[in-house]
Formats: sequence, structure tokens, C-alpha cells
Amino acid sequence: MNNTVFRHIIRVVVLIIFQVLILKRIGLGTSWLTLNGEIFIYPLIIFMLPFKLFRHYVILIGFFVGLTIDMFYDTVGVHAFALTATAYARGILLSYLEPRGGYQLSMNPTMRSLGLNWVLTFTALSLVIHSFLYFTAEIFTFVYIGKILLKTVVTTVLSLLVTMGYHFLFNPKT
Amino acid sequence: MNNLLQFVIRYSAFLLFLLLELVALILVVRYNENQKSIFANSSSILSGKLYELTEDVIHYNRLQVTVDSFATETAALKEKIFNLERSLQKVSPVEKPLDSCILETYQIIEARVISNTVNQRNNHFTIDRGLDDGVIAGMGVISPHGVAGIIDRVGDKYATAISILHSAARISASIKRNEYFGSLVWREIDPGHMILEDIPRQADILIGDSIVTSGYSFIFPKGIFIGTVEKFWTEGGSNYYTVDVRLHQDIARLDHVYVINFMDQELMEE
Repeated sequence: MNNTVFRHIIRVVVLIIFQVLILKRIGLGTSWLTLNGEIFIYPLIIFMLPFKLFRHYVILIGFFVGLTIDMFYDTVGVHAFALTATAYARGILLSYLEPRGGYQLSMNPTMRSLGLNWVLTFTALSLVIHSFLYFTAEIFTFVYIGKILLKTVVTTVLSLLVTMGYHFLFNPKT
Repeated sequence: MNNLLQFVIRYSAFLLFLLLELVALILVVRYNENQKSIFANSSSILSGKLYELTEDVIHYNRLQVTVDSFATETAALKEKIFNLERSLQKVSPVEKPLDSCILETYQIIEARVISNTVNQRNNHFTIDRGLDDGVIAGMGVISPHGVAGIIDRVGDKYATAISILHSAARISASIKRNEYFGSLVWREIDPGHMILEDIPRQADILIGDSIVTSGYSFIFPKGIFIGTVEKFWTEGGSNYYTVDVRLHQDIARLDHVYVINFMDQELMEE
């Protein structure tokens, strides 16, 4: 039990550091990417939380991880806004994607446990929600809806690649 | 009462969600209203330190490029000094300022950019100098190839500056050849270009003209090269030209910068 908690904490720290030190820099380095999107991996922290974790905790974790990312991106509240909503939407998505027979206690949101299809669908849907809300909050007006949608699509695709890369590389147990 | 309690318990996850979203939105709106986010920003110690550490590693890779650009810059500076001294010699001894400190109104603080953005509406960067090194809010920041921004918030060891790619940044700039001046603003089109507004129509502009700081605001000294004219047009019957300026400094690659302290500022404000 303790081991699992420890594993999650390490993952949170490593993913945040990877996000703000490497992915932020990649976004800055290429001007095309700079104008049309970002790459996010930190929502994975929310996706990987165990099913049995109380929903309130998921939302709180989402809020505080978002604030931490904001601190490094100099965008006060924008990441927190998007990630809190993603954390709330996770509950709805999970019940929508529930496998036949419901979730077992031994199940985890990983490829080992639920298969590639399930993980891909869940990750893609969550990332769409997250990126859309992120750019809505950042641009803060629907006048630029075209820009928001373009950035959402680009960001979702790139983030999905990175996130699935994590699943394939590490194939985590929990 | 019982019903209310049951309602709260039943929807507690949703209510918590609403509450946190409200907090996040308030933060976003406050930030949008007055750019003065007193809340966690990268001039805070934790993120400042972390960025500085990684900058150390990456900086090493770019050493050769940095050295080269410094050498060119030194050469240009020497040339300037020699030319200035030569022209000073022509001034008769009577007109020469008695005290050299009259001339030295600018003090330069060298700094390094440790965090930077160019992809938001309002962009900021963080430098590794703060109050301890004499940096104060409102000072101008220039880079070897142009203007970079204006110091906004200052911590003890780090300071955050608003980049010239910021909706609130207006820099007084002029055409070098004929000294017509206007304000340089960013219209979120492209981090490589800015718009020079309010150039009167009688000004003759050529594509490729140099744009320099005008020196009318005490933040930047006169004559810092900013970029060149790429195209210009008049907007719908206006009496002023709108000029598209290609920036000489790629803001995404800011590294070494200089903070300019204008010592006479107090005098000028009085």
C-alpha cells in the first residue's frame, strides 16, 4: 500500500519536472508550435490515479497540480482551471467508459489492466476537454473560437502522442 | 435543513468542483485585469532556482554562439567609443562637461534570462538579478540585438519583466534615417514582428529602414537598434502609417540581457 502511494508521488514530481523543464522548452523552440499549441503531459497525473480514490481528492489534486504548473508557466489560474475541470470530468468519463461488469478492485487505468483501446479512448477524451478548457481560459474570449479550436486539436494530438508514449515505454502497473 | 444537508452531501463533489473553478477563474480574471499577479510567479524562489539550474546546463551548450556574439558586440562598442571620443575632441574645452559623472547617467546591470515565454497574449521573462543587485521595477531591459522588455516585479534574487511581446508594452521608437517617431506595440500575430503606429503620412519610409528607440521615454536610451521595416500601409483613411517591423532580436532566444538604470530619473520626474 505504502509502496503504491510512494510510486504515485514520485510520478507526480517527475511528470511536473518533465513538463516545465522539457516540454515547455520544446514549445518555445519552434515558432510554429509556439503559435499553434503546446504539449502537455501533466494531465497524466490525474489519469493515472487509482479508481478507488475518492472523487473529492481527485479534484483537489487536480487543482493543486494545476497551480504548481501555473507557477512555472507564469499563467495564474489557467492550468488550475483546466485541470480541475478535467479531474471532475474524469468521474463522468469513467462511468461512461465503464467496462461490462463494472470496475474490479484489482483494476487500474493502465494498458495491462484494461487494454489499449480503453486507455486510448479515455486519454483522448480527457485531453480534448483539458486542452479546450485551457485555451478557452487563456484566450478568455470566444471571439477567437477558430484559434481556440485549432490549438485544441494540435495540442490534443501532440499530448496524446507523448502520453501514449509514456504508457508504451513504462507500461506501468499502477 | 435536513434536505439541504442531504443535498450538500449528495453533490459535494460537484460543489467542490464549482468552488475550485471559481477560485481559478478569479485568479485568471485578476491576472488579466492588471498584470500585477502578486501570486506565485517565477520571481519566487522555488521556480527561480530550478530554472536557474537548468539554464546552467543548457547555457553550456550555447557557449560558442554566445562568445561569438559577444565578440561582435565588443567590436561594435569599441567602434562607438572611439567615434564618440573623436567627436568629443572637437568640442572646445569650454563646452566640455567638467565632471565626467554628468555624462554617466546610465548604469548597466548584466543579467541572464532564466525563463521566457513568447506564445501567450501577455508574455513575461525572468532574470537572475533582483533587488540585491539594484534592479527596480520600471527599468528597461535590452539584449545584444535589440529591446527586450521592462522590469515588472522584483524579488530579492530574481525579477520578472514584461516582454515587448505584451499587450501593455508600448515602446517609443523612431525611424533612424529621419527621426519620425511612433509607438511600437505587439498585435499577437507573430513573435518576430511588431507594429509601429502613429508615423505621420508625410514621413518617407523605405522598406528596410532601421527602427531605433527614440529616447523620449527615460526607460531606454536613444538609438538602440530594434529592427527593420518589412512593410507599411495606411489603415482606412487614417493620417498615419502603420509599419510592420521585423525584430532583430528573436525574443524566443533571449539569453544575456542588460538592465538599464537611468540615474537621472528622479531629477526628470521632478
